[in-house]
Amino acid sequence: MSGGQPASAARHSLPARVWRAVVDSDNFYRLLTLLIIGVAWQLLAINAGGLLIPSFTDTVIALVELLFDPVLWEALLISNQAMIIGFAISVVIGIPLGLAMGRFRAAEQFSDVYLNILLVTPISTLIPLLVMSVGIGLAARIILVVFFTFIMIIVNSRAGVRQVDPSLIEMGRSFGASERQLWQRIILPGAMPAVMAGIRIGLSRAVQGMVIVELLMVSVGIGGLILRYRGFFQADKLYAVIVVIVIEALILISLARWVERRVVPWAPSTSKRASGNRGATR
Amino acid sequence: MIEITGLCKAFAGRRGIGEVQAIQDLSLTVHDHEFLTILGPSGCGKTTLLRALAGLVDWDEGEISIDGKPVRGPGPERSMVFQNFALLPWATVLNNVAFGLELRGVGKKEREEKAAHLIQTVGLSGFEKRLPGELSGGMQQRVGLARALAVEPEVLLMDEPFGALDEQTRRLLQEELLRIWEANRITVIFITHSMEEAVLLGDRVVLMSARPGKIQEIVPVPLARPRSADVDRVSQSEEFVAITSHLWTRLRDMQHELQHRGVEAVAS
Repeated sequence: MSGGQPASAARHSLPARVWRAVVDSDNFYRLLTLLIIGVAWQLLAINAGGLLIPSFTDTVIALVELLFDPVLWEALLISNQAMIIGFAISVVIGIPLGLAMGRFRAAEQFSDVYLNILLVTPISTLIPLLVMSVGIGLAARIILVVFFTFIMIIVNSRAGVRQVDPSLIEMGRSFGASERQLWQRIILPGAMPAVMAGIRIGLSRAVQGMVIVELLMVSVGIGGLILRYRGFFQADKLYAVIVVIVIEALILISLARWVERRVVPWAPSTSKRASGNRGATR
Repeated sequence: MIEITGLCKAFAGRRGIGEVQAIQDLSLTVHDHEFLTILGPSGCGKTTLLRALAGLVDWDEGEISIDGKPVRGPGPERSMVFQNFALLPWATVLNNVAFGLELRGVGKKEREEKAAHLIQTVGLSGFEKRLPGELSGGMQQRVGLARALAVEPEVLLMDEPFGALDEQTRRLLQEELLRIWEANRITVIFITHSMEEAVLLGDRVVLMSARPGKIQEIVPVPLARPRSADVDRVSQSEEFVAITSHLWTRLRDMQHELQHRGVEAVAS
């Protein structure tokens, strides 16, 4: 069967065409990778075995059980409260700050050093500090998520403003645009792709912050669940929780990408770039 | 009428040392309805001169006035076409062409009508809904030209508008520009580094030299108009060839002199 060309594929029977569609889709290869990893995992777990490494199948079973267990959903609710509030605060603070820093030298001079300090500081080291000053409530978790997230959003928003083509700003000025019009018509739309990328990166950082704070400081929510299963040596459940976190992160990132494509359809996305100039001729 | 008197503009070099005199004591009068081309080697300050005319940069000394009013920044009687097109990548062709009008507060319906008309003038009908990224360079500059014309300027400033295009596209756009200009004859100041382009389009060619940027010579181009009807014959005529070869001689001398001075500067 050499149905590589679309013309010859049309002549093939229905099952052959379905097979082609399956083989051509990206998901097929992703699932194949998962299958290979699953088999390797299974073999490793059977050989090395024991209490600490659950097998692939055990993990899948635990995952299904967990999905029907209200404990998981309660934990997710608690964790995500901090994550969503923290992420929202980061967006509200980070975007205007980053945009201002990109455009105005004064804003840059005031904050550049501190931003760099925050960028290189391992945020986890702030946790004991936070516990001492605000306790172990929701506020502390929100603050930590903010620390994890808002820097990424600032840095990307700032880069977005800086990468706006200066000739576009010059063009705007030549047509008599006011500073306000420059912002509305040129700077904001021009910075938008980077701002959206910052939101996406920030979102994944927020998920990280959410889990880390619960693991290290306040053992509630998803992090608390991990600690509990570890305490009882329930390795399969422990792995299942991690899978849940990964799934949540993936869903959130896909959501962010979807929004990104809606908001900035002109920006070259990774998949478009990979397919060359096919997008340009459409 | 545009009057430039005693214009000087210097740029600070790196770390404040080695000041570069981009324009030195430049005086020039541009008549109404004139197509003036400015020709010179790179670094002769021709783009700086155009940006000063556009009101985008300040200058150190001298005066620029348009119809007796001094230039103090961008104004509605001028519009500009950019070498790198400077189109908004997120806006359709229609919205790009209407952009200048939009900034000036012209209502949506009116500006879109005007823009549609100009899109037709530059030969882009049917591409109104496309994004700039979907167009070729030549088509993008047609959009840039339509945008500049949409605000109905008295003076059109063109900064090497065809410099980034390949030869055949460039020729087609030169013809197109002649055709459009010969129909309405607004004042055009056109920067180029192509001698043929300068002669083909201009009523006069201003020849500038570099370091410091000043006018070497103003060459009148007495070729008959309209030229758009038969560009090929015009560009092969004896007169055309004579003027371009004169410009070339002057440019070559300037280049020699520059190298000479460079050698002296190194030696001293």
